[in-house]
Amino acid sequence: MPSLLRKLSLAQAEPEEPALRPDVVAGALDAVPSYCDVVDGHVHDVIEQTGEAAYAIIQQLVKVDSLAEVMAGDVAQLAGTLTRTETELSQVSAGNDQLVGRLISYFLHRDHQIRALVDQMRELDQHVKQIEEVSRATNILALNAMIEAVRAGEAGEGFSVVADEVRKLAHRSAEAAHGIGSSIGDLTAKLDAVLSDDSQFDRAQDMPETSEETAMTRRLGGIANAQREMSEMVAGILKDTVKAADQVQRSSDALTSETTGAVGHVQFQDISRQMLEHVAEAVGDVRRQTEDVVAYVSGGLTEEELMARRISVEDLRAKHVMSRQRTTHAAQTGGAEHTDAEPLIELF
Amino acid sequence: MTTVMLVDDSATMLMSLKSILTKAGYAVETAGHGKEALDKLGKGVKPNLIISDVNMPQMDGITFAREARKAPGMRFTPILMLTTESEQTKRAEAKAAGATGWLVKPVGPDQLLGVIKQVLPGA
Repeated sequence: MPSLLRKLSLAQAEPEEPALRPDVVAGALDAVPSYCDVVDGHVHDVIEQTGEAAYAIIQQLVKVDSLAEVMAGDVAQLAGTLTRTETELSQVSAGNDQLVGRLISYFLHRDHQIRALVDQMRELDQHVKQIEEVSRATNILALNAMIEAVRAGEAGEGFSVVADEVRKLAHRSAEAAHGIGSSIGDLTAKLDAVLSDDSQFDRAQDMPETSEETAMTRRLGGIANAQREMSEMVAGILKDTVKAADQVQRSSDALTSETTGAVGHVQFQDISRQMLEHVAEAVGDVRRQTEDVVAYVSGGLTEEELMARRISVEDLRAKHVMSRQRTTHAAQTGGAEHTDAEPLIELF
Repeated sequence: MTTVMLVDDSATMLMSLKSILTKAGYAVETAGHGKEALDKLGKGVKPNLIISDVNMPQMDGITFAREARKAPGMRFTPILMLTTESEQTKRAEAKAAGATGWLVKPVGPDQLLGVIKQVLPGA
């Protein structure tokens, strides 16, 4: 710029040298303002577009965040339901175990009762043998009485003795018959009780545990084991599902944390916006200085005015607000390296 | 619920900070510049904390902090300046105007929430 001014002043002092034509200078610079306007427009376009994009990014991150929170809520609810189901399943399984235990005790008790019946029936055999014995003795006595009667003829003393023995045997027979009758009655009553009375089932839980086994209790034990295994398998699946739900919840929390961090990073747009606004302002300064030069060569501005209004790199530095701007400025101008000792967060 | 007033001319900044603070359990009031924020204070909005940008149209953050201190009930309310400005001169101006602290953008969510806990210990 100083060389241009020198040439312009020389042109006035030494007319014989090729004159520097102000109209050519003005014409050459004529397009600069429009050029700067277009650049300014582009810069503001970038500001607008990045602003819209950053806003849209935040909106989407907020939406992702909301979805993650909803998902975390759903998963927590599912985990709660699964945990409750696992508890209920465990309770049902324990109840079934208890029921089967009672059934086993009940059947063992019933077996004991039936064995007692069998023992009593064996006692019936003894009564029958007794009757048979009495019957044999009666037959012999009857034969003796017949013989004595023949031999005695009119003398019937012996016959009376025989008759007395027969009477005694008859009495024993009556007693045996009575024994049989009462045993049968007792057995009938007990059988009725065994067949119709299941009240023992309710008392089975109070019965002492036993290591006895029967075909029936073995089968019941098998059923209990099968249902226990199934219950354990389902409980395992439920536990795995609860673990998976916990994992999903942790992932959701991590996702939320990441989206929050990402939302924070979008502050870059505000920083870039301010940097670009400074660039646009600097372009405006160049535009104004170009117009000043055109005004000067056209005679609309004095040399003093032109020099007073000229832009300078130091003025540009004074407009910087960010540490990064000052660092870049120093790097581009070869000035002293900028060091910002101020803390990024300061409470007064 | 603790209310935080955010003052910034950038819609992106307002939305970003609002999202972070809402998730952390704060109620949020927003204003696009100092004058709008001052009007809200005049209409009875009583935030527990103000976070304000510095360079804004109509009324800058430092002027706003100075005027906000005159509003009823706002004498001891913490005012944090959140800005790209890093020079000590501006910080000193903000401090003289009644600001409580100075945060240079960008500030991460954890850092921001940590500073809020410092200035609002009970919140």
